[in-house]
Amino acid sequence: MALDHPVLTKRIPTPPWGDPRDRKLIDIDMYFDTGGYEGLKKAMGMKPNAVVELVKEAELRGRGGAGFPAGMKWSFLPPVDGDRRYLAVNADESEPGTFKDRLLLDYDPHLLLEGIAICMHACQLDTSYIYIRGEYHQQAKTLKYAVNEAYENKIFGNESLLGQINGRMPQCYVHRGAGAYICGEETGLLESLEGKRGWARIKPPFPAVAGAFGRPTIINNVETLAMVGPILELGVNWFKSMGVPRPDGIPSTVPASYGPKLFGVSGHINRPGIYEEELGIKMSHLIEEFCGGMRDGAKFKSAIVGGISTGVIGPDDYDAQLDFDVGAKYNCLGLGTAGVIVMDEHTDMVAVARNIAQFFSHESCGQCTPCREGTHWMYQLLSRIERGQGYAKDIDLLHEVAGSMGALPSGQGSTICGLADGANWAIRTIVDKFRNEFETRVKKKPQILQSVESVNDG
Amino acid sequence: MAWIVKNSATMQIERREDPYLDDELKKMLETEVIPRFPSRQAATLPVLHAVQHKHSWIPYQALEEAAEFLETSASQLLDTASFYDDFWLNPKGRYLIMMCQSVSCELLGQMDLLESIKAKLQIEPGQTTEDGKFTLMTVGCLGSCDTAPCALVNETLHENLTTENFGQILDGLE
Repeated sequence: MALDHPVLTKRIPTPPWGDPRDRKLIDIDMYFDTGGYEGLKKAMGMKPNAVVELVKEAELRGRGGAGFPAGMKWSFLPPVDGDRRYLAVNADESEPGTFKDRLLLDYDPHLLLEGIAICMHACQLDTSYIYIRGEYHQQAKTLKYAVNEAYENKIFGNESLLGQINGRMPQCYVHRGAGAYICGEETGLLESLEGKRGWARIKPPFPAVAGAFGRPTIINNVETLAMVGPILELGVNWFKSMGVPRPDGIPSTVPASYGPKLFGVSGHINRPGIYEEELGIKMSHLIEEFCGGMRDGAKFKSAIVGGISTGVIGPDDYDAQLDFDVGAKYNCLGLGTAGVIVMDEHTDMVAVARNIAQFFSHESCGQCTPCREGTHWMYQLLSRIERGQGYAKDIDLLHEVAGSMGALPSGQGSTICGLADGANWAIRTIVDKFRNEFETRVKKKPQILQSVESVNDG
Repeated sequence: MAWIVKNSATMQIERREDPYLDDELKKMLETEVIPRFPSRQAATLPVLHAVQHKHSWIPYQALEEAAEFLETSASQLLDTASFYDDFWLNPKGRYLIMMCQSVSCELLGQMDLLESIKAKLQIEPGQTTEDGKFTLMTVGCLGSCDTAPCALVNETLHENLTTENFGQILDGLE
């Protein structure tokens, strides 16, 4: 399997089709000239509901981490009641190892804006906010420029071709975040949008029913919305011709892994970068064909498949198939953002675990005790093990602490949002798959017992 | 996330005559930012960004002025402002160095890079040089893992850093 032609990177030169050095910002004229906004045109000729049904039929799954089917999310909206409804675009790309949305924002922002316009029409949303992370200064500027172009060309604004939605003309605003990972969680994002600290909300109610400002709200990732235009333009069958279909006998309610996907590869490889391929591509193919192989010819040891939250896969999983089932097959949390971090044989896995624990300990918002305290203690334990001052029992303790936090059953449902699930899975998968590395680093018994024994032996 | 520790009972707020949120800024925010949202409080992040952009940090007096402008309480605004790493409630150096310490960056030598910058500037992360030129911070991930290690200096991203080229970049700053 291999992609015939680039989809999301159609206008962004990317190997094997183009040279990254030729990349430049696609302005709205260039976008129109290369078939841009054709999907929107098609959507405008359809009833809003028909667009939702089409996206549902395409089984487009969210590209932001959780992989929830976008069409399904859209269909959860209550009937229109004439009052405001919102679209919040999640461009708060903060998951370590993830840099795919930046590529789209840097070079082809209209691909996103087209998806936004289609979504606003389909779901009857009158206002959209693009929540972009504070650190993306240049990207926010590019996006504002592109939004202005879209206003001038009547995509949004008081002369918008979309016409009135909920009795209002559609608006699109760029909203800058301020350096908080938790604001990438959808309800944390909404709180932040409302001007508060980014604490995740208890669900239900889900945002589709009561989201931003208590009104129905759709929250989608940048790449998910960027995919909507091409689906409208080229059709469901085209989209489903790529990726991994459902195996025989699996009910149609279980979503499959269709379509192309951006993979951001970094770490110990020769050519790190963003590459576009069908879902289901083997990681070894990604590393060897796109990334020029392992750096310095070193041996592969481990990889984080989709941002650090997803945890690691082991040395035997070099050929792992990267689709939405990667979690079940290789015992990690899932495909996440498909930000792959490749690690070679010289990597110290204890240090990797410490790095990850430090991140979550800093970024835990402090709302739920298991996460606030647990991430901190994991960081302390891992730092101690890394310094060679840990004890054998610390490894089990680490496992126990990790397994006690998270919104999923694996974290005992002890937290409101999934941040702790990321910390939990990342640490547990590293400890489980590389336990020998931890064991060689720890002292066998607490110091005081050792000294008592040596006295007795003497 | 940040937790603030302050002595509310005895703390004195330094005040000045000129408002931080002056009429010009207020007018801009009123026409360009406030109409975007159904509530004034929702404009908190854009307002704080605007104040910080103008003054480099957000003094308590500015928070009070912003609270009045947003028709919310100063304590609510402090609650929000103190939550976000990007908002500075204390003065910072003219150049803010945010060094990425993601897994990708650490795999490719971020630790050595950090040590060299610490030695060069004679400060630890979180501190500002005596001359007020540089503030050094370490951050989670800057979203540029393909060009690791990387760092933001104010609004400019520097990629594929080494101890040599990053030292030169910092030397080249006024």
